[in-house]
Amino acid sequence: MNIKLLKVIGDLRINPGRIILVIFALIIGLWGVGSILVSYTILGRDLNENFIRTIPPHAAITSRDFNKLDLAALRKHPEIEKVEFRDFATLRIQTHQDEWIPLWLFGVEDFNNLDLARIFDQNSNSRPIVPKDEDMLIERDGLRFSELKAGSPARVRAGGRVIDVPVAGISFDPAQAPGTQDHLIYAYVNKKTYTEITGEPSNQRLIIRFNNVKTTQEVQAAADGLVNYFKSFGITVDTIKIPKFMEHPHQWQLNTLLFLEGSIGFLAFFLGAVLVSQLIAAILARQIRQIGILKAIGASRSQVFQIYLTMVLVLGAISGVIAVPLAVKSGYAYAYFVANILNFEVLTASLPHHMYLYLIAASLLLPVLLSLPAILKGTRISVREALSEYGIQQASVVKKSRIIAKLSLPRNLVLAFENTMRRKKRLAVTVAAMALGVAIFNTGFNVQQSLKDLLSDVNNSMKHDVQVVLINQMPKEEALKYFSGIDNISRIETWNGGRGAMQNMIVSTDSGVGIVALPYNTDLIGFRSIKGRWLSGPSDPEIVMNQEAAKMYDNPAIGNSQLLSIRGKQYKAKLVGIADEFEKPKIYMAQEQYDAVANPEHYINSLMFVAKDKSYDKVLALKKNIEKAIAPSGLQVLYVIMQAERVKIIYDHLKIILVTIVFFALLVLIVSAVGMASATSINIMERTREIGVLRAIGATPAIIYNLFVAEGMIVSAVSILLGLLLSWPLSIFASKFFGNLMLEVELRSSFSKSGFVITLIATLVFGWLASRIPARKAIKVSTREALSYE
Amino acid sequence: MSSFIQFNQVSRWFESSSVRFEALKNIDLHIEQGEHVAIIGKSGSGKSTLLNMLTGIDHPSRGTVQINFTDVHTLNESRLAKWRGENIGIVFQFFQLIPTLSIRGNLLLAMDFVGSIPSNARNDRAEALLAQVGILQHADKLPAALSGGEQQRAAIARALANDPPILVADEPTGNLDSKTTEDIQRLFADLVGNGKTVIVVTHETVLNTEYDRIIALKDGAVAADTSRNSPQ
Ligand SMILES: Nc1ncnc2c1ncn2[C@@H]1O[C@H](COP(=O)(O)OP(=O)(O)OP(=O)(O)O)[C@@H](O)[C@H]1O
Ligand SMILES: [Mg+2]
Repeated sequence: MNIKLLKVIGDLRINPGRIILVIFALIIGLWGVGSILVSYTILGRDLNENFIRTIPPHAAITSRDFNKLDLAALRKHPEIEKVEFRDFATLRIQTHQDEWIPLWLFGVEDFNNLDLARIFDQNSNSRPIVPKDEDMLIERDGLRFSELKAGSPARVRAGGRVIDVPVAGISFDPAQAPGTQDHLIYAYVNKKTYTEITGEPSNQRLIIRFNNVKTTQEVQAAADGLVNYFKSFGITVDTIKIPKFMEHPHQWQLNTLLFLEGSIGFLAFFLGAVLVSQLIAAILARQIRQIGILKAIGASRSQVFQIYLTMVLVLGAISGVIAVPLAVKSGYAYAYFVANILNFEVLTASLPHHMYLYLIAASLLLPVLLSLPAILKGTRISVREALSEYGIQQASVVKKSRIIAKLSLPRNLVLAFENTMRRKKRLAVTVAAMALGVAIFNTGFNVQQSLKDLLSDVNNSMKHDVQVVLINQMPKEEALKYFSGIDNISRIETWNGGRGAMQNMIVSTDSGVGIVALPYNTDLIGFRSIKGRWLSGPSDPEIVMNQEAAKMYDNPAIGNSQLLSIRGKQYKAKLVGIADEFEKPKIYMAQEQYDAVANPEHYINSLMFVAKDKSYDKVLALKKNIEKAIAPSGLQVLYVIMQAERVKIIYDHLKIILVTIVFFALLVLIVSAVGMASATSINIMERTREIGVLRAIGATPAIIYNLFVAEGMIVSAVSILLGLLLSWPLSIFASKFFGNLMLEVELRSSFSKSGFVITLIATLVFGWLASRIPARKAIKVSTREALSYE
Repeated sequence: MSSFIQFNQVSRWFESSSVRFEALKNIDLHIEQGEHVAIIGKSGSGKSTLLNMLTGIDHPSRGTVQINFTDVHTLNESRLAKWRGENIGIVFQFFQLIPTLSIRGNLLLAMDFVGSIPSNARNDRAEALLAQVGILQHADKLPAALSGGEQQRAAIARALANDPPILVADEPTGNLDSKTTEDIQRLFADLVGNGKTVIVVTHETVLNTEYDRIIALKDGAVAADTSRNSPQ
């Protein structure tokens, strides 16, 4: 065997503890970076791939006049790629006894020939089962939170009627937002069944794909052209809906996750890199004299370089063999986890070959890159310097220890402090890495707290317990009479509202903004002002917007008059306030004003129930009783929702991100703790001889042990302090950043007390372990071994 | 006319925070091929510094060093390594064997670096050298398993691995007992008998008569240079 390789192997075997540490650090780093690379590759394409596979439409247009349309002629138009009817209605479906949630029902032209907005059979990419007349398919994500199953009937409420619809099979529709998060169920029926269930005619909604469109603007233009074309046939378009251009509705969640993965992965990698380069530098530092000898017996610099390069390559290869398969496994596991939550299929059955190439290259090149500075420095050293290496420079320590001496601290602590100060550069790196870990860990909790605050804001902004929204407005007394006998109702407030628009509206295709007409002095709205005030009375033409509405209308100034169109009527009102509310765009106005403009009959369309006993179980019982009352009533209900559910829906959208934040933050903390442990180990190993001297002059193992633990604790204390300080600005930034990324609002930055305590305890424990383990090892070395340590 | 080893007005000073310390002062020195030279002097007199000039480990601040027609101080780092491997074998006082390689491995590594011995001849050469210094039976042990004297012999064998014409040793017997010291000194004398030029820095006060020449340094200058007529 090559003699140089023999030397490398010999060197690697001489200090197995340290080598194992390097390999361990490399494995952790490679594993982390590798799994992120793998899952990033899979997730980055598969959600989109799933979405694109459905051949999603660019626009949906509804009209009641489509019977005048010649679809075959429309299909021949050059700008039309594909077009078909896909009727759509929102109904309600029973998921559990007396629990009803929205049902999005699609009327499909031809299940045998799905060419646009395709759906698939459950867990596959083949065609779905074709439901017979009167049967329906339901989307698979709905099975997770309902008792629905294939082969048994589902109760569907359409208008005032309740119909039992047999579930013929389970489909998979990766183009929809996951039903689990939006708390709704998607179902698919043929045209005949659609009409039977909804009582509406079919062929009222067209879905369209255009040729040669690349942006939402181009889709908009094409759709506008189409509207004009329809007009020429006397077809009046009711709505045009243009989704985000070729993007899955929950792409934002994935983007957030990928960003988190990317940035945290980079950080973990950075910390791991620091750790590996430190360890290798420490190994090389021990080899300086040997380098001198090698050069003295005729080795050129490049020969020395080769030897250490080989050494690092061997380390990289060993780590790679272990880490790459692990990375592929865990990368896939994470991808499956996310795919499961976002309801899409992992399509990347096998990773592209270049991924393996990257991973192998990473395991070989990264350690080389990381140790290059140390190797270059080591090989550049001249023979004279190498042979006359005097060891640790003491000069800088002396000054500081004098200061410490004056503080009359316990002798042990002084010694620990001096030792800590000894390797200033390494210490700085260790503290920085650990502090960064602490900062990110704590920031994770703070961001989580910001999100929780948002949820409690949502909870506080609306103080009712159950809301019933009717499809059609009706007289108040008529609506209320069904609910008179129900327990646990403190009172019912009745509101009205509908769609409206403001004149300076920018997005012309948007179906407008929600107008909420309510008693101006209601106590069900917890108004938190961004600007201005709440409505002052019933007789003034005033409106309050929430921030989303304000954003939509380009942040109009408080005090200015705005022209609104409500149910075709014009209404001029002064904007008096902007509410801080995490909600869809809404404009609030006094009921009296609304009635005067658009509702002379004083109809209402929503009932806000306030419970006496607000405990979750009691409110749930109330909701079920309300459902029970609705069932025989013939009331046409859009939805019945508990305030707690509303909060839960938002929470469910954020949950995966919350979990991921804390998980990744923990990862960073662990990596930095491992970093600290190894830095302490290096420190102790380098001072093995000193331990021998200390022992020889009478230090007991207990003294030495305490010395090292004290040292470790000093380092962690400083790191924790710095980390917590750093987490402050970081949290402010992160709340803003994630708020914008996920919800397009800036989250208020919050301070998580429990997070602080957890961070403090976790880091102290990690710090304690990190110094305890190597310290225990240190005292096991015998005095003789310690003194002869090279 | 030039000698085998030739120091011309060699000075070496070290500068540290505005203080200049002159370790070697205008040394003129000529050593011929096959000479057995001892360099003596008190601690700090500049012995090691002088040897470093000779091996190219360090360079003169002023003056030139010429060995076998090569201007040592002009060689760059990589050429110097090759030149040193081919021309000079070095033996130190402490820590010089690679602890993770066997004695044989240490010799093979030196030959591998320089590459002047054909690879199929290296193992035989290593064994021959180990036999010459009397430790062939330890060839496959790690250095730590050998006594100090045996380690020093191994180091000498390794210094001879590439068959250099010059052997330099810095206090090679500094921490050996007198019996072992004598053995090592005899080994050097044998090498001189085989045509090598041997230059040894030594503390030994009682000087062995085997040296051809004794150069005494004092405060960085040559204080005495005594040659002994060759008995033969
Ligand atoms: N790199 C250096 N920087 C500063 N001074 C040095 C350096 N190397 C050697 N010296 C000084 O030069 C002088 C000569 O050193 P040298 O090592 O040659 O002495 P020596 O004769 O070999 O002594 P010893 O017998 O103790 O080995 C000493 O005073 C030493 O302190
Ligand atoms: Mg010396």
